[in-house]
Amino acid sequence: MTSQEGFGRPPRIATWFVKLFASAEEESILGDLLEEYSDLASKSGVPFARRWYWRQTVKTILHLGGTGFRGAPWSTAVAVIGGFVLHRFISGLPDKILSTVTDRYLAFWSTHFNAYVWMLNGMSIEHLIGAMFVGCVVALVAKGREMIATMTLALVLCVFIGAAFVWIATHRPMDVAWMLWACADPLAIVFGGAIVRMRRSAAATPPASICTD
Amino acid sequence: MSSRDYLGEFEHIIVLALLRLEDQAYGVTVRQEIEVRTRREVSIGAVYATLDRLERKGYVKSHRGDPTPERGGRSKRFFRVTAKGVAAVNRTQRALQGLTEGLDLIRSYS
Repeated sequence: MTSQEGFGRPPRIATWFVKLFASAEEESILGDLLEEYSDLASKSGVPFARRWYWRQTVKTILHLGGTGFRGAPWSTAVAVIGGFVLHRFISGLPDKILSTVTDRYLAFWSTHFNAYVWMLNGMSIEHLIGAMFVGCVVALVAKGREMIATMTLALVLCVFIGAAFVWIATHRPMDVAWMLWACADPLAIVFGGAIVRMRRSAAATPPASICTD
Repeated sequence: MSSRDYLGEFEHIIVLALLRLEDQAYGVTVRQEIEVRTRREVSIGAVYATLDRLERKGYVKSHRGDPTPERGGRSKRFFRVTAKGVAAVNRTQRALQGLTEGLDLIRSYS
């Protein structure tokens, strides 16, 4: 009987977070956490062990995040700036394509107005896919620091979005739907980074028959 | 590396824990040894980040053990202090002793 069968698994989301941030040390850190979790669960109970696991996860992520950035500040900064420029370029593309297409086929749209509305709605999704693509590119460039780079880029965007919110709040009527939608881009960037990180993590993990996570 | 390089506070603690644990030093035992001896809760991430830095400086070496079912099929990473690491910890200890020599810390500054 493995320890996991006896005392349940450690929190899955916490384990996933550790996997995202612990690139080179993933196997050692997750193994150590599981070993201590099982030991604590048998001595002090599962709820205590789960609280301990979450506390360790948060501290570990903060520490690895800080050391990851300090370890390669310039290459991380280059990836973030490159990602910012790419995001500026990509986020404007759907609008440019739409205006080109509508100008060219004006007669078609006047008779198929529903298709035009559908295309307008689809643009928001294109924005999200574009942001996710940017997150993937930044993560590919910042190998080993995928989450640090994408989260830094997301934070930079959040600062710009926050400034835009303040400007809009003081100059125009508030559009809550637009404001919520504007927050989706940073999330999509981090999601793109997480996809690349998980793919790399899966490729680096050797196949083991007794590995349960 | 210059002969004037000293260990940082947490590096110093980690190297001393490795020396105490000898051939049983891996993430869990190092973390627990520090918690028991210093009564300070440390994260496993902080332990590995510091061990990696010490390995890059040549103060510690590591090797992997066999995967075990208790660890979900993952292997332990064992660490040991190199001769260069022992020299660094001695240098740091001497510097600290030189600084504290003659100070009555408990009576004068408590």
